[in-house]
Amino acid sequence: MIEALALGKSFGAVKAVDGVSFTAHDGQITGLLGPNGAGKTTTLRMIGTLVSIGAGQARVDGIDVSARPKDALQACGFLSDARGLYTRMTARENIRYYAELRGIDPARSESAINRYADWLDMRALLDRRTDGFSQGERMKVAITRALVHEPPNVILDEPTNGLDVMSTRALRELIRRLRAEGRTVLFSSHVMQEVAALCDRIVIIAQGRVTAAGTPADILSAGGKDNLEDAFVSLAGIDAAHGGEAVA
Amino acid sequence: MSAWNTFLVVVRKELRDHLRDKRTATMIILLSVLMGPVILIGFAMFLSSVEKKAEAREVFVAGAQHARALTNFLARQDITIKEPKPDYRELIKTGKHEPVLEVPRTFAADFASGKVTLNLVYDDTRQDTGNVAIGVLRRLVRDFNAEAASQRLIVRGVSPTVLRAVDLQEVNMGTPAQRAAQMLFMIPFVALIVCVTGCTAMSIDVTAGERERGSLEPLLLNPVDRIGLVAGKWAAVAVYGIGVVGLTLAGYAAALQGMPLFKLQSVVAITPGQFAGFGLTMLSFAPAMGALQMLIATYGRTYKEAQTYVSYLITVVSMVPMIVIFGQIKDAAWQLFVPMLGQLMVITRVLRGDTIDWTHFVVPLGVNALISAAAVVLVARLLAREEIVFGRA
Repeated sequence: MIEALALGKSFGAVKAVDGVSFTAHDGQITGLLGPNGAGKTTTLRMIGTLVSIGAGQARVDGIDVSARPKDALQACGFLSDARGLYTRMTARENIRYYAELRGIDPARSESAINRYADWLDMRALLDRRTDGFSQGERMKVAITRALVHEPPNVILDEPTNGLDVMSTRALRELIRRLRAEGRTVLFSSHVMQEVAALCDRIVIIAQGRVTAAGTPADILSAGGKDNLEDAFVSLAGIDAAHGGEAVA
Repeated sequence: MSAWNTFLVVVRKELRDHLRDKRTATMIILLSVLMGPVILIGFAMFLSSVEKKAEAREVFVAGAQHARALTNFLARQDITIKEPKPDYRELIKTGKHEPVLEVPRTFAADFASGKVTLNLVYDDTRQDTGNVAIGVLRRLVRDFNAEAASQRLIVRGVSPTVLRAVDLQEVNMGTPAQRAAQMLFMIPFVALIVCVTGCTAMSIDVTAGERERGSLEPLLLNPVDRIGLVAGKWAAVAVYGIGVVGLTLAGYAAALQGMPLFKLQSVVAITPGQFAGFGLTMLSFAPAMGALQMLIATYGRTYKEAQTYVSYLITVVSMVPMIVIFGQIKDAAWQLFVPMLGQLMVITRVLRGDTIDWTHFVVPLGVNALISAAAVVLVARLLAREEIVFGRA
C-alpha cells in the first residue's frame, strides 16, 4: 500500500505539488492522471526518495519514506522516466546488477528474470548487449530491473511513453498480472485511454493538487460528463483551447 | 545490503563494464605503452645530437684566409675550419646555419697592432642549432687570445703567470646520473600526467556519463548506501588508473631494456628499485586524481561538459612542473604535501639517486588518501542533491 498524505514540494517560488493525498491499495491499479507539468512525476519522486519531501508524508506499507528511505525503497519497485541502460552489458547483466545491489541471491534473481522475460516476451533479448535496443526493448529491461526483487509495491512513471502498440500491450498485460498477484500498482500517465483501460482507481492531479479521485464511475459523476475524457478535461481544469495535448 | 557489499558489487560492475569499452581501452593502452619508448627514443636522439655537437671538431670561419695565426692555432687544436655558405647571415636567422666566426680582411695588420675584432654571428632565439657551437667558438677564441698574450709577454721577458693571479679549477660534485636526471624530468612528468589522463574517461563515465545516459536516477532508486556506491565507482577508477600507469612504466622499462642501440642504459640507468619507487609514488596519486576528476565531472550535465571541466584540472596539473622549472623552486619538505609537486620531487630524487626516506612515501600517500576520501564523500553528498541528479533547471 502506498499513501500520500498532504504531500507538498516547491521549487523556488513554484509550488509543484501542493497538498496531494491519495492511497493506492494492494491488489489495485491506481492511476495518477494529469496534464504535463501537473506534479505527477514530482509526487512519485518524493515517494521514491529521489526528491526530498517538502511537506506532508509518504508511506509505503506503513513505512515513513523520509524516516526510513532504504526500507521504503526495498518495498518498492520504481520505473522512473529515465531508463538508461549500460550499453556494454547484456540485458541480463543490467538486471543482475540491480539484483546484486539489492542483495538478492543469484538463484532468486535468475528465476525472477526468467519469469518477467516470459511475461514480456524478451527471452531472446536477455543475452544481447543493450546497445541499439529499441525504446520498447529498453523499457522491458528497465521494468524487469525495477521488479527483480519482487516488490509488493510497484511505481511506474509514464511507463508507456514512446512505446509502440505491441510494447504497450505487453506492459498493460504485465500490470494486470502484478495486480492479480495482489501487488499495489501506482502509475502516472497523461493518456486518458490508458488510465481508463487499466485502473481501478484514478487520481486526477492538476497544478499540483488532487482535483478528483475515485473509481472511473466516480470520476464520471464528479465531472458531470458521460465520457471519461470530457470528465478529465473538466476536472483537470484544462481549457480546451490550450490543454488538448494533455489528453492525446 | 551493507555499504561494503554495495562497494564490491559496484567495483565489479564498473570494471567489467569499462574493460569492455575496447575503443577507449585500446587508445589509452596504446598511448601509455608507446609513450615510454617514443619519449625515450626522442630523448636518446636529442642526447646523441648534443654529444655530437659537443665533440664537434668543425667550426665555420668566414675569411679564414686572412688569419694565418688563428688558422694555425685551430689546426693545432685539431679543429677543422669550414667555409660558411655565402648567405650565412640570413640562414642563421632562419636556423639553417651553424654560428660563424667572421674574420676581417685586415686581420694580419690589426693583430700585429693588437686591435682585432672578430664577429661571432649567431641567433640566440634559435635554441635548436648552434648552442654548442657558440660555446666551442667562444672557448677557442679565448684560448687563442690567452696563447697570443702569453707569447707576447714571454717576448717581453715577463712570465705569463702575472696575468693569472688566481687560477680556477672546477670541481663538479654532480654525478653523471644527476646530470642525466636533470634532463630526464620528462619521464616522471609524462608518467604523472598519465596518472591523471589514464582515468579521465572512466571518471567522467561513472559520474556525468551515468547521468547523461539516464541510468543515475534508476541506480539511486536502489536502497544502497551512497558512500558505498561512490566508493565502489572510485575504486574501479583507481584500479583502472593504476593499471594504465603500470603499463606506462612497463613501456619505459621495455624501452630501456630493449634499446642498447641508443646507449640509453649508460645515461639512464634506472634500477628495478627505482622503478618500484615510481610505482609506489604513483600508486596513490592515480586514485586521488581519479577521485578529483569524478568530483569535478559530477557537476557536468553531460559527458562533454564534464570533459571541459576536467581538462582544466589536467592543465593545472601539467603546469606544476613548469612552475618548478621556471620558478626555480628548490626541493623542500613542504612540497610533499602538494599533490603532483610532491610526486615530482620524490621521483626526481629517485632518478638523481638522492636519499629517500619513508616520509617521502608516507606523506604523499596520506595527502592522496585524504583527497580521495574527501572527494568520495563530496560526490556521495552531491548525489543526494536534486539539482545534480535531475540536472539544473
